[in-house]
Amino acid sequence: MANDDREKLSVSRRAFLKGGALATGALSSTLIPLGPAEGADRAPEATDLDPRRSKIELKVNGVAYRVDVPNTTTLATLLREELHLTGTKVGCDRMQCGACTVHVNGRSVYSCTVPAVDAAGTEVLTIEGLAKGDTLHPIQQAFVEHSGFQCGFCTSGQIMSTKALLDRNPQPTEDEARQALSGNLCRCSAYKKILESVMTASRLSRA
Amino acid sequence: MRAFDVVTAKDSRHAVALLAEHAPTAKVIAGGTDLLADLKFSSHGPAMVVDISRVEDLKAITITDEGLSIGALVTHTAIMRSPIINDMFPALVHAAHTIGAVQTRNLGTLGGNLVTGVPSMDSGPTLMALEAIIVILSPAGRRQVPMAEFFLGPRKTVLKPDELLAEILIPKQNLGKPTHFLKFGLRKGQALALVSAAASVWVDVDTQICSAPRISLGAVAPTVIRAPKAEAHLDGRPLTADAMAEAGRIAASEAKPISDFRASAGYRRELVAVLTKRALEGAYELAKTKRRGA
Repeated sequence: MANDDREKLSVSRRAFLKGGALATGALSSTLIPLGPAEGADRAPEATDLDPRRSKIELKVNGVAYRVDVPNTTTLATLLREELHLTGTKVGCDRMQCGACTVHVNGRSVYSCTVPAVDAAGTEVLTIEGLAKGDTLHPIQQAFVEHSGFQCGFCTSGQIMSTKALLDRNPQPTEDEARQALSGNLCRCSAYKKILESVMTASRLSRA
Repeated sequence: MRAFDVVTAKDSRHAVALLAEHAPTAKVIAGGTDLLADLKFSSHGPAMVVDISRVEDLKAITITDEGLSIGALVTHTAIMRSPIINDMFPALVHAAHTIGAVQTRNLGTLGGNLVTGVPSMDSGPTLMALEAIIVILSPAGRRQVPMAEFFLGPRKTVLKPDELLAEILIPKQNLGKPTHFLKFGLRKGQALALVSAAASVWVDVDTQICSAPRISLGAVAPTVIRAPKAEAHLDGRPLTADAMAEAGRIAASEAKPISDFRASAGYRRELVAVLTKRALEGAYELAKTKRRGA
């Protein structure tokens, strides 16, 4: 069955990415995974050597990290280039396209426009944090079933915006769904399939 | 982006002290939706950024002796979800909803929208039609500036480098005043206003006589403006369909729109007439609904 193949494919890719992130983490001097109790509610600290860099502690998908980055770093760059969580995409890099959408303390934001220092002490959820082991999140499952994408570049952002919507409003109308996802552009124009995915995700999430 | 130092303010007092120390080379960052966009695509920038995003005492929406106080760091999402604002000023909720997308509204703050000083700001007209007062903190203390005097020109406000916009105050006499806001953009989502208009008015529903009509327009002058001649035409008169249409025409003559790639000045002027009339109609409808509910 095609669906089963797809699921296996996505699982193996995810496992590959996860492995990559851990391996890099072990090698990098600035990336220190902390215990689960640490890393909460801390403001950034200037580093000892350079006031233009900051030490930041934050939790991403339940894992605590301590990093040391230039103040010019955005959350999107921190996620992709320091933590190697490349599921979050950068499209326009100017708060229009939504490919970089992640949740910070439960709110969906454009991570391209959040300074990393402002994410210090927060809990971040990215697309990598949705699946439980080999089981896709119901929203991911719905996007797979409906082919809610063509090229897939905008998809992690679409899914994170869908999650933000369903967390607050588990049974949205189609109009509410359109409005909630209006900050996520799809250059392939797969909007019809994306909307179908959102409505199915709403049903699956409640099941 | 040019490298910069960051200092994080703990509360509003600390923020003012940091600004006093580092102005004029410092920039304030709150939600960052405007500042970061500026810094990213510019080769120059501030040496120091004062981060006020963690200043909790500027995040409250409260009724005080002076009126409705909205902290400068209240996000557009928080405005949309505030029971007090939904009850008293649905127009403010609607105006917040027209800003950017969910992700923008989760980050962007009301104070941040005002300090940009752009004529197309979506928060501006409703607040100006409600005669909002801008509360400013500095080492010299606290001062209040009427919204109509806050903007000096495109991207220019009365704020000095060591001053912090702390609070937006809707004065007591305007609490619950029927108000309506309309924005006309080229798309439903993520569009800049070609024209926006807000009207607030007290109406005696039996006689239709209106008092204290206030009309404010966005994106049709160097700053958000009031339309005093249109207001004077309505004050003390019955709010009839003809009177509202005439007020729209007068407001169009008071606007000073420009032609750009989004729309011509003539088209914007037509929009002012129509949106002003509809904003008045919306405020009138609300006045009637409120009486029925009372």
